[in-house]
Amino acid sequence: MSKKCKEIDSLLSAYLENDLSKEEAEDISSHLNACPECLCKKEKIEEIILKLSDLQEEVPFFLKNRLLNIPDMIEKRKAVKPLYFPKWLAAAVGTIILFLNLFYFTNIFPPVNREVHSVVSSIEKFFVKTGGWFEKVRESKELLFFTFFNKKSIGSKENKADQRNAIDKDFLKGGKNG
Amino acid sequence: MMINSYSKSVYNIALNFFAERDIAQDVTQEIFIKIYHNLDKFREDKNFSSWIFTIARNHCIDYWRKNKKYFINTQELDEKISVNKPTPEENLINESEIDKLRKKISQLDPELRLILILRDIQDLSYQEIAKKFSVPEGTVKSRINRARLKLAQAYLREGI
Repeated sequence: MSKKCKEIDSLLSAYLENDLSKEEAEDISSHLNACPECLCKKEKIEEIILKLSDLQEEVPFFLKNRLLNIPDMIEKRKAVKPLYFPKWLAAAVGTIILFLNLFYFTNIFPPVNREVHSVVSSIEKFFVKTGGWFEKVRESKELLFFTFFNKKSIGSKENKADQRNAIDKDFLKGGKNG
Repeated sequence: MMINSYSKSVYNIALNFFAERDIAQDVTQEIFIKIYHNLDKFREDKNFSSWIFTIARNHCIDYWRKNKKYFINTQELDEKISVNKPTPEENLINESEIDKLRKKISQLDPELRLILILRDIQDLSYQEIAKKFSVPEGTVKSRINRARLKLAQAYLREGI
């Protein structure tokens, strides 16, 4: 490619859009008449510019629908705000639990180990006490049912056991007959 | 209102930038979601269409960068196929002229692609494009010229 061809290359668009001075345009025209390579390029560019104007397309119907739904979708998302739980807090809680486990199951620091064990045992005691309290409430409910209605409550253990026995008996009967 | 006014322009930027309809549709949707999320950040002293275009341009370039590998592989595959030159009839069946031109555009540099789309497809003036890209008019003109030359050379190399 000659120096002149390179120069023409940089001016081809301006030449096609009549954006050059008369002298420059004449200079390019005379070069194009003499250089088939540059002429071919110029004709190709003209053809491409014509084709490019056909590349506009209408927005597909379903895409337009999707786009029209965006404001509603964003409003709905804004309405449901997710719970904010910072990452550093999760990391801190995880680390504490990990260290408590370490001190509980190993005896690296005996005083800490003792302290953790005493806390765990007091928690266990608390649960045993409350568990016993729940048991007492349940028993007194059974007693009330028995005293006033002379029958066992539907959800009681004995009642359930009776029901299970009845089902077993029916099953055995069926088995013998069959 | 906003969607009716700008959806065509944004969709055509995406379609001619990626040359794939499915991707263009997804990208258009993502651009409008971004626009709605950032509406409160828009300053009234700025031009709204330029603001929308900036979001569209940045999103297209980001998407292209994130999926560069896929796009380059697709281009290489297309080049390999075009080496085994199909007959004109096969060409007609496989691909329309418009799709072929879109593929050629999608092989240009992203900035050249966008400028070419605005000038030759969306028919914007050099002045408007210069404003949108915040570059001098002369730079826009030389980029347009470079993009057109590259397209012409790509066609001539294939002997079309």
